[in-house]
Order: sequence, then structure tokens, then C-alpha cells
Amino acid sequence: MTDTASTLGAPKTRFEFSRLLGLTLVGVLLAMFLFLAWKTSTFATPGNISNLARQGAIFAILALGQTFVIITAGIDLSVGAVASFITVVVAMLVQGVAPGVAAGLTGVGLPEAAANVLALWTVILASLLLGMAIGAFHAFGVVKMGLPPFIITLATFTALRGVGLLMTNGSTINVTNDAFTGFSRGEVLGIPNLFMVVVVVAVPAFVYLHLSKWGRYLYSVGSNPEAARLSGVNVNAVTATAYILSSLCAAIVGVMLASRTGTGNATQAIGFELEAIAASVIGGTSLFGAIGSVWGPLLGAFILATIRNGANLMNVNSFWQYIITGVLIILIVYADGLRRRRR
Amino acid sequence: MSAIAETQPAVETAFAGPILELRKLEKRYTGTHALKPADLAFETGEVHAIVGENGAGKSTLIKLLTGVTPRTAGEIIWKGVPTDLSTPNEAIALGINAVHQEVVLCPHLTVAANIFLGDEKTSPGGLLRDRAMVRDAQRILVDLGFALPAGALLSTLTIGQQQLIATARAATRGTRFLIFDEPTAYLTRQEAAQLFALIRRLKAQGVTVVYISHRMEEIFELADRVSVLRDGTLVGTRRVSETSDAELIGLMINRSIEQVYHKDPFTPGAAILETRNLSGRGFRDVSLTVREGEIVGLYGLIGAGRSEFVMGVYGREPTTGGEVLWGDRPVSVRSERDAIALGMALAPESRRDQGLCLNLGVGHNLNLPVFDRLTRGLTISGRRERAAADKQIADLRIKTASRNALALSLSGGNQQKIVIGKWLNHGAKLFIFDEPTVGVDVGTKAEIYRLFGALLAKGAGILLVSSYLPEVYELADRLHVFRGGRQIASHGHKAASHEQILTEAIGV
Repeated sequence: MTDTASTLGAPKTRFEFSRLLGLTLVGVLLAMFLFLAWKTSTFATPGNISNLARQGAIFAILALGQTFVIITAGIDLSVGAVASFITVVVAMLVQGVAPGVAAGLTGVGLPEAAANVLALWTVILASLLLGMAIGAFHAFGVVKMGLPPFIITLATFTALRGVGLLMTNGSTINVTNDAFTGFSRGEVLGIPNLFMVVVVVAVPAFVYLHLSKWGRYLYSVGSNPEAARLSGVNVNAVTATAYILSSLCAAIVGVMLASRTGTGNATQAIGFELEAIAASVIGGTSLFGAIGSVWGPLLGAFILATIRNGANLMNVNSFWQYIITGVLIILIVYADGLRRRRR
Repeated sequence: MSAIAETQPAVETAFAGPILELRKLEKRYTGTHALKPADLAFETGEVHAIVGENGAGKSTLIKLLTGVTPRTAGEIIWKGVPTDLSTPNEAIALGINAVHQEVVLCPHLTVAANIFLGDEKTSPGGLLRDRAMVRDAQRILVDLGFALPAGALLSTLTIGQQQLIATARAATRGTRFLIFDEPTAYLTRQEAAQLFALIRRLKAQGVTVVYISHRMEEIFELADRVSVLRDGTLVGTRRVSETSDAELIGLMINRSIEQVYHKDPFTPGAAILETRNLSGRGFRDVSLTVREGEIVGLYGLIGAGRSEFVMGVYGREPTTGGEVLWGDRPVSVRSERDAIALGMALAPESRRDQGLCLNLGVGHNLNLPVFDRLTRGLTISGRRERAAADKQIADLRIKTASRNALALSLSGGNQQKIVIGKWLNHGAKLFIFDEPTVGVDVGTKAEIYRLFGALLAKGAGILLVSSYLPEVYELADRLHVFRGGRQIASHGHKAASHEQILTEAIGV
């Protein structure tokens, strides 16, 4: 048991374990794909697949951000409210501020097309920064005020909805900028833009969580903050990063939603936080912290999106989707718990 | 020899005699043989003390007797009938109860609610009869001679008083066999006297009491018989009236101390750390120096302020006065990261709560302080990470399935090697070891002490906190005795006797 061969051999076993769960999830997803392709003529069509990719993308990014927080043994209930709030902010900025910025830029000699694009990116960036600021507020509440994550994010969950409704007077803002709304319908090499956003987010997320020391610290803090602290980890900074990243992901989703629906509405993503938590948990994230990955929540989100999509195509009463999702959460998490106990 | 002579007749008279009998009772954990086959019979109505060093198997025995952990082999016979005793509920149903050193009650409930917890008085409609419970609990407490308010919240009582409540709770539930695990560790003298009175009363009622303690004088005051455990072996049982401190200590140790506490002589070098009148929460006016190649021991009873002091030095808790010098330079250590940047390393008192990320891998734990150095650009070099972990596992001879095995799957001794070992590659100058050998077997102890030697040879200094006198006595070049948050006395290497040091620590 101490010889080199088994010392080198054993890690593989554990790696295969985690890969096995990954394969289970990929298997579940593939099985659903095959089943739906067999049962319906509408599933395996390019239009439906890209629709599925767009639907899944929204939840995948929310779930990914949520996963960072859950790994620290926290929870972020605010992501749906943050995404909704950001749809309002970005819609207002696109309608009210972007034209002015574009005019200013053409004034200093930029071609009109470039000025419009640049102005759009400026307001999107501003919206994302605002999202990060909300995350920083959560971090402040958890780290400095010592509030339970559940409480501080529950507080912003309700308060942000109020702020958004006040800003819009309870109405919906329509976005008339075609460049902005066109993004969600566009594709690159046949791949929907919204799905490309998942890739753009997931790659740095993978580097952060799985390849950098910051990722290692995140797991350590989730496992035992005191041990991490005494080993020289800046626990407060690591925890804060998780909340800021979660809100950043929510803000990205807000921008995507505003583009997809062409509206800013302070309640349109309410409820998404539970979908995000569900996707993360289905993806193997432990609510007790220290266990989770990047690919897990992504797969979880696309599994949930496929259930919804498939149920629609098969004309299953849409209420069944909720029940199926609930049963699936129990089954997958129970199976995961069994697997862990056996180890 | 007398152990056998004594227990044998009891076995023959079977029923009238032993209330609980152990036959070849044995417990193995992965990697450790916590209790080797033990035969022991507890008489009805006796006070039976169990002594042994840290890690001798006392807590394993308690866990087996209270059904907390299943046995590996052997039989447990309750009033002549073999019993499973595989769950705590089974033990309670038989009448076996334990009072632990740390109180396991609900601090937010009243004293009465705690006493009746799980056995509440209810009205016919199923509602709680709070006032009746408070009244009855008060009567129980008065009967037991405890002047404590039954209606008060448990958390408003001192730890010692809570301990008495825990005892009262156990005593009122038809308990026939009551185990005390170092009950007096947190008690004042008066509280201890009340506890002893209660134990005598229970004994008079025919309750069998198992009393685990480090304090010899308590054993000679209370117990009828005493059993000695050493490294998981039951080495003997004696009638208290026929034995002595010296004999018991001989049974407990029975090994050449020099073999375990091997220490090469060093000439101490320059000062690494000096504190001048350092004060903080739980300690006051502590002045000491740690030099290169030197072990400085901090001895005292639990709660004497030693851990608080080292946590202050390490920046985990704020200090309120005094100075810290690093080399000859005054420094202000505001956080653990300041301390680590200076060159300190800390192996904390509690492995599970402070030392390890239990559900992460061995390699992850070992590399935690050095992920910075394993990073190239943005990412960690996987090859260097694996190599660093494997080297540590090999150097420290950590018994683990792999570097990816979870820390919680290791035995206590191997876990402790991680807690200490993670700092070895860090290049620290000052190592703070808080109770480094609690719950580890003798072999691992010897390895840990050898590690100390290697660190000293490299010019490091060690601050060693220990509640185990022989350890600090043999190892420390300079020994500071703590009591009530103050530095009571300081001695050179083996300059004072055990008795003198113990007296200073207890303050009699």
C-alpha cells in the first residue's frame, strides 16, 4: 500500500470516479437526446437544437456562478433578482444612454457604425460592473457583517426587485436597438451566440476553479475556513471573490435575457435562482461546500433545459416538467450520496 | 497477576457479580489497533477508575461501551446476557450512560428542559407541562445537593455547572452504569466536591461508575478498583487499597522514556522570537524568548492560556499589550498571513476543527500553504503539485492510499503528520506546535519528535504547547508553566521536578 506503483495508481481511481459521475450526466443527457430524437420529429432539427442551446445557456451561466458560492458552503438566492434588475439597467442604458455616447463618439470623428458598437459595449460593461458591485455588497454582508449568506442574498432578492420596479414604475422597457437584440438571435459558424457566451465564461471559470491557486483556496475555505486561515489563506478575499463572480454571472445573464426578450423587466428572471441551484446540485455540487466543478453545473443546466424542451415537444402537460425535475433532483443527489458513502 | 485473581471469582458467581463483562473486546480502525483484546468485569455498585496516557485507548473503550462505535471482535455481557450494544439507544435502554468532558446538551433550552430532553412531561393533550418540569427538575437538583436554578437557560451557567446538569440528567434516567470521562477538567474545587458527593450517592444506590481521569488523587479518593490501559492494551486491574501512584504510573508508562523522547543537545543560537509582557484575551504579561535550535515548552492545565497566547503570537487573535520582537526587530503581527510572511508556522490544537480540510485530499492539505510557490503564471503546475505532495507523503511516511485520498480517511497519527508536515517545505523559522501528540500512538509520537530534531538541526526554533508533562519535561530546553492566563514559573531543561511543575500548574 506504500509502494510507488499503487501510490501512483490510486489517484486514477478517484479521477475515474469523478469522471464516472460526469459520464453519468453526459449519459443522461445523451439518452434524453436519443429518446427525444426517436419519439419526436421536431427535436433533432437545427432550429430546435439551437433553441435548446439558447435556453440552456441562460441557466448554465447562472448555475456556474452559483457553484462558486456553494463551494464555499454558501448560497446565493439573489441571482434571479440580479439578472432581472440588470435587464432593466441595461435596457435603460441601451435606450437612454447608448445613443448619446454614440453621438459623442461620432463627434470626435469615429465612423458611425463603430461608434454604435462601442457605445453598446460601454453600456454592457457598465451593467456588468454594476452586477459585480452587487456581488461586492453580498461579500461585505457575509465577510464583514457576519450575516449568513442565505439572509444577505435573500435581502437583495427582495430589495432589488423593488428597486427595479421603482425604476420602471412597474412597467416593461422595450429595447428598440436592433444590434443589441440581434445578438441573441445571431450565430457564429452555426453555433448560437448565447451558447458561445457559455464557452467564453466557462473557459476562464475552468482556469480559475481547477487550475489556479485561487480555486484550491476556494475548496479549502469551503472545507474548513479555520484550517485555511491558519495556513495563510486570505479567507475573506476568497469568499468575496465567489460572491462577486456569482453576481457577475447573473449580470451577464441579465444582459443575455434583455437581448433575447428585447425587454427590461424587474421580475422576468425571478425564480431562476432555484433553477440555478438545482442545476448546480444535479451537477454534483455539494451544498455542504468543498465539492463541485465547472462542467457539473453546465451539464445540469442543459439536462434541465432538455427536460423542458422535450416535454414541450411531446405535448406533455407543462406542469409535469416541474414534477419530473423534482424527482430527478432527488434521484441524482441520492445516487451521488450513495456513491460518496461507498468510497 | 492480581488482576486475574480478582476478576476470576466474579466471573464464576456470574449473575450476582459483574453487571457488565468484556470478553476479548477488541477494536481496530484503519491503520491502528485502538483496543487490543481486553477482558474486564465491572462489579455492581463499584467505582472503577480507568487510567492511561493520551491515546492509550480510553476514549475507544467509552465509545464501545456506549454503543457509539461498533466493536471489531469480542463479547459484551450485560448482567450475564451477551448484548450487541451497537447503537447509543441500545446502551441507554440498558441503563448505560456517559457524561463527557465537553457538555453535549442544548445551551438554548432551560436546565429543566435539558434534564427532561427526550422524556418530556406532557398533558393528556400532548402539550408540554413546563412548570411541572421546572418544579420536578428543581427537586432533583436540590436532592442531589446542587444549588442551581432549574428555570435558567443552560447557557447562563458555567461550564462546570453545565457538567453537573449533565450528570444530574444521566443520574435520573434509570442509569445503572455511568461513565465519567475526565469530568473534573473544567470544574472548580467546590463543583468537583459536589460531583464526588453525587458519585458516592449513586454508588450507594448500586449504580456502577466508570471514572476516567488523569488525576491520581481523585482516583485514590473515589475509586474501588483501577484499570490501566497502555497503547490499547489493558495492562492490569488493581484494588485501589492495594496499589500506589508509583505502581500505576509504572504500568501506564513501562517503557524507557529516553527511547521516545530522544533529543540531541544543541547550542541555542540567536533569538528568533521574543515577547515582552504580551497580553491578550486569556493571557497576560507573557515574556519569553525562542532561540535557534531550541524547544520552548509551555505547560499548564486545559484553559491555562497557552493556546490563547500562541494564537496571539500567530496573529489569529488580537493582542492588547506588550511587544513582539522578530529577531531583534519589533513587529506587529495583525494576521496569520503576517505571521507566515515573517516565518512562523502553526500546527493548531485541534486537527479536525483547525488543522485539516477533512473532505479534501491529502495532497491538497499538504500543499495548502505553498500553492503560491507551485503557481506558474496564472495556473498551478500539476506536475510540481503532485511531486510536492508525493515527496511529503514519502518523507513523513504518511500511510495513505494516495495523495488524493480524503484526509478524513486517515488515522489520527497520520492526520497529525499532515498538520505538521504541511509546513516543512515552507521554510519557516519558528514552529508552533499546540498539543502535537494528542491521540497519536507511541510510534508516531517518536516520529514527530524526530521531526522536531530535524527542524532544530536546520536552525529553527520550536514553541511546544503540551498538557502532557513528560513530553514537555523531556523535550523543552526551557519550560514555562502557565496558570490562569499567566506565566507562573520558568525552568531550564529538567531543572525542576515533575511534582514541583504540576504543583505550579494546579496552584495548590
